[in-house]
Amino acid sequence: MPRPEHKTIQLTIDGREVTAREGMMLLDAAKHGDIEIPYFCYQPKLGNPVGACRMCLVEIEGIPKLQTSCSTPVKDGMVVHTETDRVRHAQNAIVEFLLVNHPLDCPVCDKGGECPLQDITFGWGLGRSRFIEPKRHFVKPLALSPLIAIDRERCILCYRCVRFSQEISEDYQLVFAERGADTLVATHDGHPYVAPFSGNIVELCPVGALTSRPYRFRARPWDNEGAGGICTLCPSQCNVELTVRDEKVMRVLARDHPEVDDGWLCDKGRFAYQSIHVDERITAPLARDGGSLREVSWERALELAGGLARHKGHVGALVGGQATNEEGFLLQRLLREGLGSNDIDSRGGGPVDVELARALAAPSLQASVPDIEFAHTVLVLGCEPLDDAPIIDLWIRKGVRRRGVQLAVASSRPSALDVNATFTVRYPPGAEAGFLAELDAALAGGDAPQDRRELASLLREVGEDVVILWGERLGAQALPALLSIAGRLGLADRPGAGLLEIPCGANGRGLREAGAVPDAGPGYRAVDAPGRGAAEIAGAAADGDVHALYLFQTDPVRELPDRGLWEQALHRASLVVAHASVLTEGLREHANVIFPAESYAEKEGTIVHPDGRLQRLRQAIAHPEQVRAGWSVLVDVARAVGQEMDVLTSSMAFAQLLAAVPFYEGLTLEAIGGRGLRWPAREQARAFPGGARPQAPGSEASDGRDAPAASDGQLRLGTYRPIWAAPEVEISPALHFAVAEQQLELSPRDAARLGLGHGETVVVAQNGKQLRAKAAVRTGVPPGTAFLAEGIAAQSANALTEPFVEVRKP
Amino acid sequence: MSPYDPGEDVIEVIRAPAPGPIRGAYRVFGETLRGLKTTFARIVEGPTTIQYPEEKTPVYPRFRGRHKLHRFEDTGLEKCVGCSLCAAACPADCIRVVAAENTPEHRISAGERYAAVYEINISRCIFCGYCEVACPFDAITMGHDYEMSDYTRSDLIFTKEMLLAEPIERTPLRAEGE
Ligand code: SF4
Ligand code: SF4
Ligand code: SF4
Ligand code: SF4
Ligand code: FES
Repeated sequence: MPRPEHKTIQLTIDGREVTAREGMMLLDAAKHGDIEIPYFCYQPKLGNPVGACRMCLVEIEGIPKLQTSCSTPVKDGMVVHTETDRVRHAQNAIVEFLLVNHPLDCPVCDKGGECPLQDITFGWGLGRSRFIEPKRHFVKPLALSPLIAIDRERCILCYRCVRFSQEISEDYQLVFAERGADTLVATHDGHPYVAPFSGNIVELCPVGALTSRPYRFRARPWDNEGAGGICTLCPSQCNVELTVRDEKVMRVLARDHPEVDDGWLCDKGRFAYQSIHVDERITAPLARDGGSLREVSWERALELAGGLARHKGHVGALVGGQATNEEGFLLQRLLREGLGSNDIDSRGGGPVDVELARALAAPSLQASVPDIEFAHTVLVLGCEPLDDAPIIDLWIRKGVRRRGVQLAVASSRPSALDVNATFTVRYPPGAEAGFLAELDAALAGGDAPQDRRELASLLREVGEDVVILWGERLGAQALPALLSIAGRLGLADRPGAGLLEIPCGANGRGLREAGAVPDAGPGYRAVDAPGRGAAEIAGAAADGDVHALYLFQTDPVRELPDRGLWEQALHRASLVVAHASVLTEGLREHANVIFPAESYAEKEGTIVHPDGRLQRLRQAIAHPEQVRAGWSVLVDVARAVGQEMDVLTSSMAFAQLLAAVPFYEGLTLEAIGGRGLRWPAREQARAFPGGARPQAPGSEASDGRDAPAASDGQLRLGTYRPIWAAPEVEISPALHFAVAEQQLELSPRDAARLGLGHGETVVVAQNGKQLRAKAAVRTGVPPGTAFLAEGIAAQSANALTEPFVEVRKP
Repeated sequence: MSPYDPGEDVIEVIRAPAPGPIRGAYRVFGETLRGLKTTFARIVEGPTTIQYPEEKTPVYPRFRGRHKLHRFEDTGLEKCVGCSLCAAACPADCIRVVAAENTPEHRISAGERYAAVYEINISRCIFCGYCEVACPFDAITMGHDYEMSDYTRSDLIFTKEMLLAEPIERTPLRAEGE
C-alpha cells in the first residue's frame, strides 16, 4: 500500500493547544505536545496497542469513564486532562496494583537505574501499599534461553514480549501460560526461546523480568557511556548504541532508525560484540617465522609488508565486507597507484560488467528500506533475508501484516517468508538466469511456464509500486534479465518502487562505490585495463601469475567459493599480507604478515547501506593493545612500498574519496551525521555515471541457459549462508550454542529414498571430495535438490564446486 | 556629602587612640594587659594540648571515618550485593563496583549478585557518608578511624578485603555527654 496521507488536527491537553496527526494515539500526541503520560505496555513499534497495563488513563471531556490514552485515537477538538484528581487517583491505584506481586529487588535487578517501573512508581505512585498478603513466588532467575534470563516475579504482564514473538518476529514461541493471577510468560511447551531476534524482548520489557545473560550484572547505567555506532556484521547495517564501561563494550542496544532497522536488532548483532574482547582476537601484528605465526613489532610487520613492492603488477587484493569506504578506497589506491595492479575485488557473487553494475545501481532504480513496507508488491528474489540481512525479514513481515503488501518469493531454497507469501515459486539452484529470462519473457507477454506467468501477472496487477529485493548471490549471469524486468515494470519511474540489492558483504555497496572492484575505480569510473575478479585472482595465483595477495578483513578459504583453489592460491603466493581480527584457517596456514584489524566499535569511517544511505562509524572504544586504525596501516604499507597517500586522519581519507566519487559531491561528515544520508535521494545523484536513470548496457540478455540435468541418484546442490556463519559468532562465548554446523537440507522424498532420518549424519560427496553433515528433512525443499551451508568453520560447502552431490550414509 | 543618602547603613568606626605620649603608653601596656588577663585566667584550667600520635582525640559516635564493609554475623555472607548504589550516590566518584553472580557452589553474598570488585579511592573520598545513606543493605558504614595516610597514592585505594577486614580500632570514642 502506498504511504497514507495524513491530516493534522488540533486538540487541547491540560489546557495546552496540541497539533497532532489524525489517527495518532492520544499518548503520542501528548508526547509531541510535551505532556508526559506514564505507560508500560504501549509500544508503537509493536503495532496496534493492547491496553493491558492501564497506566496511561486520562480524562476526556464528554466521556464519563477514564480512557487509556495509548489506545484512543485523537479527534479534532478533543479536550483531555491528565492531571486531575481522578486521574491521579487512578494512577496511584494502578502503580499499587502492579506492585502487588512485584518483588522490589531493585538492588540486585539488572534493570535498576533504567527501569520504567522504578521511574513511574517514583513519579506517579503513592509510595505505599496496602498489600500485606504473601506475593507469588517463582524459581528465579531462570534461563528462558541461553541468552535471556527470566524472572517471573518481576513481570507485570504487559504483553510486550509476547506481542513481539507473535506479531513482529512471528516465531510464535512466547505465550502467556495459565490465566488470571497465575498468568506467566513462557514458551508454549517449555523449550528454550531460541529465535534469531529473541534479544529484542530484553530491550522491550519495561521491568527487569527479561534480562540479557551475557550482560548479567556487568554494569549499572551510571557506570556506562553510550556510543552510537553501526553494526557491520551484515548488510542491514542496523544503528546500534554500544554500552561502554571501562573501554569495553558491555552490550549492544538498538538505536532506533525508522528508515534502517525500525528499532530491532538480530541476535548476531546484539550478542556478537563479545568477540571484541576475547583472547582469540588478534591484537598484535603477526609474522610467519619458520612455519608458525609469531608476534612481531609494527615496524617489522610493515617492513615485511613492504615486500609487496617486489611484486609490482602481480598483486591481487580482496576486501571483506566489514571494510569501510575509506579503507576500500585507500586499498584500491595502494593497489592501482602503488603496486600497478587492478586485481582488486570485494564482490562475493562473481564479476559484474561495469555498465551493468552501473545500470543496476542507478539512483532512480534504488528502492529504500521503508519502500518495502509501503509497496504494493515485494518480490524476494534469490535470497533469504533472514540469513542475508535479517532486519529486512522483519520489514517484509511488517509490510505484509500491517500494510497488506503482497509478497512473492522466488528462490531455489525454501524461505522463512514462504508462509507470508501470496505466491511462491522455486527454481533449481544454478538456474537463476534461466528463471529470470523466463520471467522476463512472461512479463513481455511471451511464452513461459505457468508459474512464471502467474508471478508476472501478480507483479503487474496488484499495483505499480513493486520492490524487488535481490541478493548478490543470484549470480552475475542473471543480472541482464533482472535489469530488463525492472525496465518492463517501470521501476525507475516511481519513487516507491525499485530494486534493493542485498550484497554479500556488509558494506558491499560502499566498497563498489569506493572502487574496490577490478573494472571500475571510485564512483564506477571505468578503468583502462580491467583487472581480475576474485575467482580469476585465485586461478592466477594458483598458476603463479599473481605472486602476492593482500587480504583485507577477509579469508577467501572461508568466505569464497572453491576452497581448494584458494588453498592452492594462498600456498603458491610468495607473500600474503592480511588484516584480520580472527585467525581463520586460511590465514593460520598461509598468511605471512597479519595486521590486527579493528572491530566496528573501534573504526572511524563511512559505510553505505544497500539502499544508498551513507552511514558513519564512530570510534566507541580505544583500540585494544596494539591494534591500529585500518586506514593508517594502509597508509603505512603504501609508504613502505614507496607511495605517499597524503592521509593523516580518517577524514582526510574521506575527503579524497569524496573528490573521487562525483555523486558524493557536497557531502560532509556532519551532514551524514548520526542518522546517515541516502545519496540516491540527493540532487547530486544526477552525476552518477550514465545518469540517474538506468542505461541498458550493450550486452545481450542471458540466453536463459538452464542448469544441467542430474544424473542418476544425485542431488542438485544449492548453498546458503546461515545467519550464524561468521567468525565473530564462533568466538563469542554467549553464542556458542548457535554456531552454525553443517546440515544437509533435503526433501522428505529424497530422505525416504536414501533411507535417511532427520538428524542423522550423512556423507556428501562430489568429485572425490566429501564432507559430513546432519540430515535436515524439510518439506519445502523440492525433490532432487539439497542445500548445504557455506561460509561456516567446519565442513563448509565452499569446498564443493560441482552442481551435483552424492549423498550416502557414512 | 555623598551623592546618595546611605540611610541607616552608616557604620561607625572605632579608631585607635590618636598618636601622643600618653596614648602611646596606653597602647603598649593597657591593651597588652587586657590580653594577658584572658591568658592567665585559663591557667587554672590546665593544658589542653593533645600529644598526638601518642594520645588521640576521641570522636563522636557519628564521626565519619574510614569505611567498613559488613558481613552477616550468623552466615558470614557479605551484606553487599554489588548494586552500585553507593557508587551512584558518591559525589566524589571514588567507589568502583564490579558485580558478579553468586552460584550455589560459590556463594559470597546473600542476594543474587555480589561485588567481585569493591574499591574506594580514599584519597578522593570527602567523607560525606552518602554511600552509607544510599546502601539498601547497611553493608557499608563509616567507621571511626581517621588515620589513613600512606606513602603512595595507590595504597590509598582500599579494596574489598581491606574494607571487610576487622578494622584496628585505634580511635577512642567520646563517652556519653563528654
Ligand atoms: S524491574 Fe525495575 S522495579 Fe522491578 S526490581 Fe528491577 S529495577 Fe526494580
Ligand atoms: S516479561 Fe516483561 S515484556 Fe513480557 S509481559 Fe512480563 S513485563 Fe511485559
Ligand atoms: S563518604 Fe562520600 S565521598 Fe566518600 S566514598 Fe562515601 S559517598 Fe563517596
Ligand atoms: S555497599 Fe551497599 S550500596 Fe554499595 S554496592 Fe554494596 S550493597 Fe550496594
Ligand atoms: S500503556 Fe495504555 S494500557 Fe498500557
